[in-house]
Amino acid sequence: MIEVSSLTKSYGKSRGIDGISFSIPEGQIVGFLGPNGAGKTTTMNIITGYLSADAGDVKIAGVDVLENPIEAKRHIGYLPEQPPLYHAMTVEEYLDFAYELKGVKSGQQEHIGSICQMTGLSDVYRRVIGHLSKGYKQRVGLAQALIGDPDVLILDEPTVGLDPRQIVEIRNVIKEMGKSRTIILSTHILPEVSAVCERVLVISNGVIVADDKPENLAGAISGERTLLARIAGPRDGIQSLLRGQDGIQSANHLGEMETGSHDFVIESKPNIDIRKPMFAALAKAGYPILMLRPQDASLEDIFLKLTDEAVAHEKPKKSKKTSARPQQKELDELFMDEEEDE
Amino acid sequence: MLAVFKRDFKAYFTSAIGYIYLGAYILVLNLLFYLNNALGASPSLSGVFSFMLMVMMFVTPILTMRVFSEDFKQKTDQLLFTSPVKLSGIVMGKYLSSFAVFVCLLLLTLLWPFAISVFGENNTAEVVGNYIGILCIGAAYIAMGVFISSLTENQVVAAVGSLGLFVALYILEVVALIFYQSGALPMLVMRSLRFISIYGRYNDISRGVLALDDIVYFLSVCAIFLFLTVRGLEKRRWA
Repeated sequence: MIEVSSLTKSYGKSRGIDGISFSIPEGQIVGFLGPNGAGKTTTMNIITGYLSADAGDVKIAGVDVLENPIEAKRHIGYLPEQPPLYHAMTVEEYLDFAYELKGVKSGQQEHIGSICQMTGLSDVYRRVIGHLSKGYKQRVGLAQALIGDPDVLILDEPTVGLDPRQIVEIRNVIKEMGKSRTIILSTHILPEVSAVCERVLVISNGVIVADDKPENLAGAISGERTLLARIAGPRDGIQSLLRGQDGIQSANHLGEMETGSHDFVIESKPNIDIRKPMFAALAKAGYPILMLRPQDASLEDIFLKLTDEAVAHEKPKKSKKTSARPQQKELDELFMDEEEDE
Repeated sequence: MLAVFKRDFKAYFTSAIGYIYLGAYILVLNLLFYLNNALGASPSLSGVFSFMLMVMMFVTPILTMRVFSEDFKQKTDQLLFTSPVKLSGIVMGKYLSSFAVFVCLLLLTLLWPFAISVFGENNTAEVVGNYIGILCIGAAYIAMGVFISSLTENQVVAAVGSLGLFVALYILEVVALIFYQSGALPMLVMRSLRFISIYGRYNDISRGVLALDDIVYFLSVCAIFLFLTVRGLEKRRWA
């Protein structure tokens, strides 16, 4: 449905996005994940034809956005980061305008009526947009994107500024719409991705650093590398045994949760499955394993890890520890910037 | 195009701008009409119209400053430019909406020839010529204003920019005239200046001399500035 190939766009000297390619089949809900300034919005603006790429092309339902913009745009509903609202108009006037602007030809009243129903706008239908709360403004923006029943929806941070109940509502609306449409939504709220999306594209510094299902992403990165183990026996004995074991990067004592046993967080070296040798060694020493489970990385960890790795990848000379710090700082700054904006 | 035209035209009258524009004009011009034609007992509208020309320089920016600037500021340009509509359609819709407000103003001023026809006699050629002339010059001004507004997201910058352009064109004319009288400029330069001069052509039309080349000239000015607007907006996408 959406074909994006080697998209590149620079702003002055800095690369906004750098060779992004992906393809999305019909009916998939895809999450764009990345820190602010990673290139999510730029990519979306290019897909919708608002910006033009320096190189690469975008095809919507087989139609090239640059060659045949009118036809391609007919397939797309777009909710930009800041909803494109005329504050002096009422919701009714605004949606009528969007309907006429997009040249939709199915019964106006029913079409707009059903969209308002779906987005929960019926109560504020006759009110002036400028007087609505942020949550309602966001919904008006979403309603606008739905006009004309486009088969592709591009939503840039659709749940920003909503209260928790509204977030759940909007997510449900998105899921509902996703049954019959292809959707790309961007976010930096990580639980949103696992709640709504079937697939995640993580973007960092203008490149795609991961492309997978949300649950696989969690597994691939940390599932086998970090283990939580409860082992019966003396603390020092277990610890020195674990630390002496090949393939174990670190073994940290967590505490004594169950009498006579100790909990450890064990991190293996990359690409090594230490479970079997560890079991054998502990059994030989007479320390039974009472519990062993992979420690799931939260999406936050994955996110930081992936975006860190992208930075480390770009600057291979620096060690990982030093490269991680500026990245973290950068993230903090970015988040602070955003708070100031609001 | 129609959707944009309708929305923008309505927007003039849901915000204060449409009323300020019409109100300011009508107040000043009717006062002048009263002084010039009622108290002066003159049936000629030329004086009022040439004054209107001056006022127009200062008031047209109010009309055109918001055309694109407001959309850039509110980010509604994202809706316009990602909708399945041609860029030229959007520009035309916006241009015509401003032009329509201007036409409303002219319709209001039809009161003057009507009042004169009650108490005296109109000089038909002069009245028609003045209306066509002012319509042409208004169309050209609005096209320039729309162009300036498409360059910035700041309405004040758009207004001052347009005002600057109009005043600069006027000054150019006055300076050229002074040089002409003193004979300091070669004939060729004078001819060229005369050819591109907006006000010179307006004077011809307002005297009731309606030549095809004048009409073509004004249409070209509009077309050039609207074309520049479309190109400028296209270029924004590549920035």
